[in-house]
Amino acid sequence: MNNHSLAPGLPDDVHDSQQAFRAVLDALARPGQDRLIGPALPGVALGGALARLLLSLSDDETPVWWQNAALELPMWLRFHTGAMMAERADAASFAVFTDIAQGFALSDFAAGTAQSPEFSTTLFIELPSLADGPALEWHGPGIETVQRVGLQGLPDDFWTQWQANHAAFPQGVDIVFTCGEQALGLPRTTRVRRLEGV
Amino acid sequence: MTTVPLKRDNAARQTWLAVLARASLAELQAQTPDAHDLQALQSVRPPEVGMVMLRGRVGGTGNPFNLGEASVVRCAVRLGDGPLGVSYALGRDKRRAELAALFDALLQDPLHHDDLQRELIAPLAQAQAQARAQKQHDVAGSKVEFFTFVRGEA
Repeated sequence: MNNHSLAPGLPDDVHDSQQAFRAVLDALARPGQDRLIGPALPGVALGGALARLLLSLSDDETPVWWQNAALELPMWLRFHTGAMMAERADAASFAVFTDIAQGFALSDFAAGTAQSPEFSTTLFIELPSLADGPALEWHGPGIETVQRVGLQGLPDDFWTQWQANHAAFPQGVDIVFTCGEQALGLPRTTRVRRLEGV
Repeated sequence: MTTVPLKRDNAARQTWLAVLARASLAELQAQTPDAHDLQALQSVRPPEVGMVMLRGRVGGTGNPFNLGEASVVRCAVRLGDGPLGVSYALGRDKRRAELAALFDALLQDPLHHDDLQRELIAPLAQAQAQARAQKQHDVAGSKVEFFTFVRGEA
């Protein structure tokens, strides 16, 4: 083990993880509204929101799939929460994307079963910005009329894949987009309409 | 999960970790170096209290069973950019776990290794072995052999 790379976890274990849990719960209940999770952790090469959510939500029964499988971050997470590294994407409870532009397929991940749709993967996707991208209109549970969202840096075919994911309800994956200290939820119940050229 | 290759000096480290885990707070405090002699101490995992399940075997050889739970405190610290020191100890004494982790980090540092081995680990190991032998000796006197006579046509 490379001891030198092991960074500390949450500064105030109990309260920080409760705060992050509450915030991400809120983010998924109100799709498209960003929520403050917390500042970056020293020595961890992840955004503050992403690092704090991983520490708060994962444990030894939730394998985590990493887009960039450099050993440092999985070892860090395993040391603090006991979460193993998932070898296969569809065996993961959580998936971490730090560079979404490399491309990916939503259908690679576990969508749960008809009896147990909760056994699906929750994806964490770090984006360059949660506001300045192409305009989108979101509808669905948790949104009163319409929520305008502009996510930056998603690949072109992302929303086509999302439509298929939404259509598979009650199965499908949920997504939490993060950028620095902020997080924004996209649960499988949300319908997305693109506003071309706006 | 990828397996982490074991270090060559693992056995030696196991030995001193076992000694540190059994040492009392007073024994550790007596040897603690002054804070200004050390590099900045970083808490990678602040001392935290949890539970472990103790398992036993009937007569030492039977089927394993759960004996009960015991509280345990663990800690991980790092000195500057140096090696990571870890500790696990029975009980809930956080300071003791912190000191044990600090000594583990220092023992991995070639600068302090020999001094600490001589002044801390060796005397403690000897005292612990003596206490164990004494206890075994005291208990051996009360050993009872149970046996039954076979009845019937044997």
